[in-house]
Amino acid sequence: MPRRKPQRRRPQRRKDVLHGPGGERGDAFRCTSCRLDVPLTAPGTAHRNHCPHCLTSLHVDGRIPGDRRETCRGRMAAVGVTARHDGEWLLIHHCLACGKLSANRIAGDDNALALLRLAMRPLAAYPPFNAQLAL
Amino acid sequence: MSNDIPSSVLRTTAFPCVRCGLTVAAFAPDGRRRNHCPRCLYSQHVRDQVEGGPSECRSGMSPIAIAVLRNGDWELIHNCTRCGELTSNPICGDDNQFILMRMAVRPLAQPPFPLETFGDL
Ligand SMILES: [Zn+2]
Ligand SMILES: [Zn+2]
Ligand SMILES: [Zn+2]
Ligand SMILES: [Zn+2]
Repeated sequence: MPRRKPQRRRPQRRKDVLHGPGGERGDAFRCTSCRLDVPLTAPGTAHRNHCPHCLTSLHVDGRIPGDRRETCRGRMAAVGVTARHDGEWLLIHHCLACGKLSANRIAGDDNALALLRLAMRPLAAYPPFNAQLAL
Repeated sequence: MSNDIPSSVLRTTAFPCVRCGLTVAAFAPDGRRRNHCPRCLYSQHVRDQVEGGPSECRSGMSPIAIAVLRNGDWELIHNCTRCGELTSNPICGDDNQFILMRMAVRPLAQPPFPLETFGDL
């Protein structure tokens, strides 16, 4: 039986999906930013929507968190932190592809140093604060 | 600055703050268009961020965070008090520094982990 010519095609890249509709790798996703393989179950949240190491997310939700109705799939950078009225921290994510903003609860295993750096950023680097704090 | 903007435009470009009622000039001293009140930093939900174009909502938007986005500008993140939509807008030079400071400090005053762990930073 004649052997087929060896294919020169590169192996297909794994898809960077959170909860694939077909349940791809149902229990984990690979972070589009730091490439960490992230288990979907996160302590303290119903569904994980960002990487616990670098806090990057993926634009997959439409108007409702968790609806997975967005086709953009751009990378969403963590750009800020806010505290809800009950004190719980939310991450502000900004889509680098389409500009959409979203607020997401932090998870129990999120990188505390990365969270703290993000929260400190306005105080450490915002020019008017520095000018006034230097008084 | 006013040389660039016709006086007819200036006259029609002030808006009342939805929160505190201050009459806000639509242009900041640096010439940028304002979308929030410099005194209380509230904004109004007049644009639909998901679909674009005007929004029917028109509710007050509270300032919730300071962020630096990819364009390098310091931005104020607003959250609509009725529908929850988020927007970002550049911080103006005359925005209330105390409210900006309170917003920046608030998460750090109630951290989700003990700050004692980070004594070496
Ligand atoms: Zn990551
Ligand atoms: Zn997007
Ligand atoms: Zn106001
Ligand atoms: Zn609204």
